[in-house]
Amino acid sequence: MLAILIRPKILSLKNSFSTAVFLRRMPFIAIGIMFWILFYIGTYKVLSYVRSIDLFGEILSKKLFSMTFFSLMGFLILSNIITAISSFYLSKDIPFLLSKPVEIRHVIRLKSLETVLNSSWMVMSFIPPVFFAYGINYHASASFYIFISLAFILFIFLTAGIGISAAHLLARIFPAHRTRNALLGAGIILFILLYIVMKSVIPRDLSTPEELINSMMSFKTDSPFLPSYWITETVLPLLENKGLDIFYFLVLLSNAAFFLLVSSFTGMRFYRDNIERIQPSGRGFSRGLSKGFYPGLSKAVFYKDTKTFFRDTGQWSQIFIIGALVMVYIYNFRSVPVDAMSGMSIFIKELMVLVNIVMAGLVLAAVAARFLYTSVSLEGQAFWIIKATPVDISRFLWSKFMYGCVPVTVLIMFLVILTNLAMNVKGLLMTVSSLTTLMLCISISGLGTGFGAIYPKFRYENIASVSMSLGGMAFMLIAFSVVLITLFLEAWIFYIYHQGAVMDAGLGITGKIQIAVCLILMLSTNVAAFYLPMRVGIKKLEGMYVNGS
Amino acid sequence: MISLENVSKSFDGTHAVQNISISISDGEVFGLVGPNGAGKTTTIRMMTGLLRPDKGKVLIGGFDITEEPLKAKSVLGYVPDKAFLYEKLTAREFMIFIASVYSIKKSDALTRIENLFDLFGIKEIEDELIESFSQGMRQRLLFASALIHNPRVLLIDEPFLGLDPFGVRMLKGVVKDLSRNGVTVFLATHSLHIAEEMCHRVGFIKKGSLVSIKTREELKGIEGGLEGLFFDIGR
Repeated sequence: MLAILIRPKILSLKNSFSTAVFLRRMPFIAIGIMFWILFYIGTYKVLSYVRSIDLFGEILSKKLFSMTFFSLMGFLILSNIITAISSFYLSKDIPFLLSKPVEIRHVIRLKSLETVLNSSWMVMSFIPPVFFAYGINYHASASFYIFISLAFILFIFLTAGIGISAAHLLARIFPAHRTRNALLGAGIILFILLYIVMKSVIPRDLSTPEELINSMMSFKTDSPFLPSYWITETVLPLLENKGLDIFYFLVLLSNAAFFLLVSSFTGMRFYRDNIERIQPSGRGFSRGLSKGFYPGLSKAVFYKDTKTFFRDTGQWSQIFIIGALVMVYIYNFRSVPVDAMSGMSIFIKELMVLVNIVMAGLVLAAVAARFLYTSVSLEGQAFWIIKATPVDISRFLWSKFMYGCVPVTVLIMFLVILTNLAMNVKGLLMTVSSLTTLMLCISISGLGTGFGAIYPKFRYENIASVSMSLGGMAFMLIAFSVVLITLFLEAWIFYIYHQGAVMDAGLGITGKIQIAVCLILMLSTNVAAFYLPMRVGIKKLEGMYVNGS
Repeated sequence: MISLENVSKSFDGTHAVQNISISISDGEVFGLVGPNGAGKTTTIRMMTGLLRPDKGKVLIGGFDITEEPLKAKSVLGYVPDKAFLYEKLTAREFMIFIASVYSIKKSDALTRIENLFDLFGIKEIEDELIESFSQGMRQRLLFASALIHNPRVLLIDEPFLGLDPFGVRMLKGVVKDLSRNGVTVFLATHSLHIAEEMCHRVGFIKKGSLVSIKTREELKGIEGGLEGLFFDIGR
């Protein structure tokens, strides 16, 4: 039965694939491959550097390996909870499936499979370069690659089992205001857990380089009760060509099977009841605001989108992922020992400010993919309303831009300023980093809105899947490239400026020219990232004709 | 008020509509009937600007829908056959959104919304989310939203889909009133008895071509009326 149920999805995939589609997607595939290569080179270089550190090198390298799996475990469980709630309770095909003579266990299996694939494909796409970097750096044999692939698949199933079970339980525990509260509960519990874990693992005192290494080593990723420990212990011996530790492989295998059974059991026990609790009621909205408030043409789309956002669980639930990202981000920077590191280089503060913006850029790209890239697609099949009424498409797209740009800018600016303050960054450096962040927020928001208009997807199962599409991934990669180019140019400006200061000769004419060129390039990169996609997006939507109403 | 001049449209080499020419005057109710896949919906979508004709011109209120889409759209109201709406808005919020899109003044908009809700029987559920509406209620809301800006042209695709007999009677009355007030109504339908009862003229479309146009009087003279003619032509 599962084969029958999954057939429409496979056929849809097959029918949407053709040589023309492949050729159209070639640029995205090329960007993906380029990132794979860069990611591999970066990991390999970091690993080579870490392993070359006296005394601690090997230990640190293994610690990094186990920390990678520890972080992945947290990310995958969180991602599985969110995806399972969307997939099991909010997908558009649920009423269709439940109205057919299909046993509930088959629906649960189908939705479980969907959850596993949707929640882990991004990790599965981007983790191989890390494995290759480790394997090649350690001159591991072929058995390392075979077993790490097998163990990682088991790891994915295990985390999916935990995530899906948690999703059913949350939907069960928070029935009063239906899924909204279930998700709010999920968010609060996860935040508290994350807070406790982070607080317990990061020591307060990081005033010396020794403390930095100590703190890294004390990061408690090696509890024998954690799946991340089992996978690390399975593959580490293979990395050192010592042979497979079959015990931990079997622990991983049996636990993957166990948690999948638990998820199946919780599904069979709670799914049917839960689904009945989340039928739309539609009642209970006050008419006060809508009675008195009347938006003008340019605000109408913004007003509609904001209302829809807060009422659509599928949309705002994604805030939890962003929240977790932000939390990890702030804690990372709270624990950065800038003073201890200042002995390594005199430009350490500038370097940390740039790293800070790179990290903020990552969060910015992820948030923009979720909220700006999807903003046009959010119209869904009601897009005919925009096309059949006298709406100026450029005003429509600008409204979409404002809808996403304002909150994203506030969030990212808050992050960067807060972390700068934590690192005791002041004066000119604070002003420059704030202005750079502001510029990036505006350009990436434009890029996201424009890209979303160029590749809209009006028919979707849930809105989260739109940002995971090929266009969404391409947007994220391009957005991150814009961040890197901007910061590379800014770093060069810092370098030239400091060189002049160190030489005590001031900036020569060459230095001034270099700074001017860098500034022009920075500005033009961001203006192009903002303007071109918006312009092409407007043209694309203006020329778009709707075949289905 | 509506003018189609040699309008054609094909999809992947298949002709959906071929050289259709119609002229419809102020206050006229024009019905387009034909079997499934004949090209009714494609024709109406070209008139709304949702599809661009490959050939020919569509004029709405004297404005070319391709050349001056905003002007043309500001005088027309459209009720599609499938009611995809903003599910997470209430009926009132949806109407306010549509009123804003047409740049209607706030005081006028609020009065019109009240009147239309009364007319279409939506008053009771105006603060409920659209996602909880039945098909019939969605259809009523669509009609209300299509009339909020007092259009001079109303395009309706399958007007009575999902409506109960009360709804059908009420809508017939609305269409007749609109026609009396000079609004041009173009409707595409499968319901022959409704087309026969309401339309001043009926056009027959078959395989994308308009094969015949008959007035109400001419139909009365045909054996079996519109239904007889439909089966005769559609065979």
